[in-house]
Amino acid sequence: MYHVELLPGSSSHPTPGWTYVADRGFDPAKAAITPAIGRKRGIRDPGRADISSRQNNAIVRHLAELDRENHRDIQIPVPVKQQKDAAGRGTRGKVTSNVRRILQSQKTFRNYLDDEEAALAQAAAATTTQSASQRAIANRVTKHQPSSHRSSTPATPKPESTAKQQRKKSTASALSRASTIPPPETPSESTEQQPPQSGTETESDEQKQTEQPDDQLIKSEHDDDPLLRSYIPSAPSQRIMQALLAEPPLTYNASRAGPPITTPSSNRQFCCFLVCDDVLND
Amino acid sequence: MGTAKPRPPGRASIAKVQSLPEKTFIIDNGAHTMKAGYAPDSLSSEEGTGTLSACSTIPNALVKTRANRTYIGSQLNTQVTDWNELMFRRPVEKGYIVNWEAQKEIWEHSFFDEKSVRSKNLQITNPDETTLLLTEAPNALPALQKNADEIVMEEWGFGGYLRSIGPALNAWNEIQSLFGDPIPENSRLTASPTECLLVIDSGYSHTMVTPVYNGQPLQRGIRRLDIGGKHLTNYLKEVVSVRQYNMVDETYIMNEVKEAVCFVSNDFAKDMERTWKGNRKRGQPEPGEGITVDYVLPDPNAAKKGFMRPHEPLMNAKKGKSAISGASAEALSEDALVLGNERFVIPEVLFTPRDIGMKQAGIPDMVLQSLSVLPTGLHPAFLANVLVVGGNALLPGFMDRLETELRQAASAECVVRVRRPEDPIRFTWLGASRLATNKDELQKYAITRQEYQEHGSSWAGRKFSGAMQL
Repeated sequence: MYHVELLPGSSSHPTPGWTYVADRGFDPAKAAITPAIGRKRGIRDPGRADISSRQNNAIVRHLAELDRENHRDIQIPVPVKQQKDAAGRGTRGKVTSNVRRILQSQKTFRNYLDDEEAALAQAAAATTTQSASQRAIANRVTKHQPSSHRSSTPATPKPESTAKQQRKKSTASALSRASTIPPPETPSESTEQQPPQSGTETESDEQKQTEQPDDQLIKSEHDDDPLLRSYIPSAPSQRIMQALLAEPPLTYNASRAGPPITTPSSNRQFCCFLVCDDVLND
Repeated sequence: MGTAKPRPPGRASIAKVQSLPEKTFIIDNGAHTMKAGYAPDSLSSEEGTGTLSACSTIPNALVKTRANRTYIGSQLNTQVTDWNELMFRRPVEKGYIVNWEAQKEIWEHSFFDEKSVRSKNLQITNPDETTLLLTEAPNALPALQKNADEIVMEEWGFGGYLRSIGPALNAWNEIQSLFGDPIPENSRLTASPTECLLVIDSGYSHTMVTPVYNGQPLQRGIRRLDIGGKHLTNYLKEVVSVRQYNMVDETYIMNEVKEAVCFVSNDFAKDMERTWKGNRKRGQPEPGEGITVDYVLPDPNAAKKGFMRPHEPLMNAKKGKSAISGASAEALSEDALVLGNERFVIPEVLFTPRDIGMKQAGIPDMVLQSLSVLPTGLHPAFLANVLVVGGNALLPGFMDRLETELRQAASAECVVRVRRPEDPIRFTWLGASRLATNKDELQKYAITRQEYQEHGSSWAGRKFSGAMQL
């Protein structure tokens, strides 16, 4: 299977449908400073010095292999219908030009995605990278909110400070404030571990009752210790939720999950899988 | 048909007069199977079982056999007897309908052509008297959405139409009873969405995390891992082909093998150790005891299906002996795959994509990434309501592993509850059918044929994206 890779060049021209990329080929200046580890191997086989990129290619190829529908490339044409086609159409009227165009299109998802990317790149050069596009959307949201509403911004929540501010208020006022906000919350097993929430009057009454015993806990000077306090953030206001709901969808590439947050202690190594062939060879 | 001709807004008020057709046909158009059927007229009192009988699961593919014959959709289950070297053409790529030529053929065959439609429950006789509710995967490309709208309205001319994000429809189900929460009184009479639900949809082409608030997706929190059932099957195929028989052309059979034997390990290192053949020499019991199984491959000549059975270490020796003593040909012709660590190493990539070199996070990490862009106040609510749908949820051990890892990763104050519906594959369809019983809500989101003819497809796209509400 052939494989076309688009290299980020300095003079690329993204346009819908095609992309021009400058191919600058082998760069001897860069090859000269390849790492000195494994010098001997480098002498024997200079083309293989760049192990990481070779591994990378192997992985990309393997992933593409896993993404395939069939092992071989084959065409399965739609079975031809016998003259009945025209009769079946009768009630439905003519085929519109849109329908004809769509049915005849043999574009793959990759084609559509490339078109989309090129169109986006053209529309705004700044929003091509994933981080930039996410930031742009985040900015849009914060713009929706009035500046007076600073208890919890969705983009950059600062739990510590807001928590302190809120806890200094009496629980009663906190509850009354909460009851004006329709809750983003379903009932769950332990109500006291949930953020203040209530939908109907009866529900909020129940809440108050369950919250009452909390006030009668034995007081100690460590109550305000930020390390010991269990922090439950309050539910965001209806206005924030509306702003969040009104956001446009992320682009296909922006919605891809990023690298793991919790970094593992070490990468697992398997010796028997195809991906690692290169590791063994080198 | 007036696609690019938005009329002046004065006309819109006339269009509003027309209401949606009574009947709603729902297609949850997955990459592997379509889940389709008519929605009931009202909420049934019993738990969805009655409603689900209206929903059929139809393979969404054109299939070509060894004998070079092509079969469409449901014919795969009824007419194909030789599953060796089946080739598939799927109109849905990466969860999105890409090839409408093939998709139209399968829809025609499954829903419109009275000769081939399997039952009356699936036949759409008058599209103009039917509302179509079509699901789509989140973050779809606008060009593909436009194609779908144009085909649905201009080729078949449905009387009403709603294109909706699949995972979000799950919120309309009876989530409370699934999580063991009290059911609000008002939801018994009319269907309403649950407030906070974190849907993990692990399907054929990818795994998606979608935070759903009041039935609407929170777009910024939607995350996708590009691993689905297809990748697991292909991976298993590859590993088996390297270690045992060449199975690279046997996608269908290896999918059956995967469904029969694969499970998600709760202790990966320990299970690896248990299946390590190097342990054999140390005088321990046979390695892989309890994990290693045989899968007897199907035999199309004898019309026998494949099946799993406990591993017999001396199988080959026995075979040799019986060949000498002249045993039945049946036992001799039988081919079996021995599956040891393959059983749990394959599904493991859903949780550790690094194992195949992918730089994406596993499912539990992806949930945290999704939550990290949402207000912290929502985290407890979402973590307490994690719903898993899609075929991969049926892997044994999947739910335990997910709940364990989420519990470890989540903040200690949050309750973590992970649930799977009885039928994770048709649950989205079921949610959609409950939405369809609530005509007022449906009216809010859907468009009528008349509106489409007035305003065109780009208007429809804006309407479905929610840009015009509120």
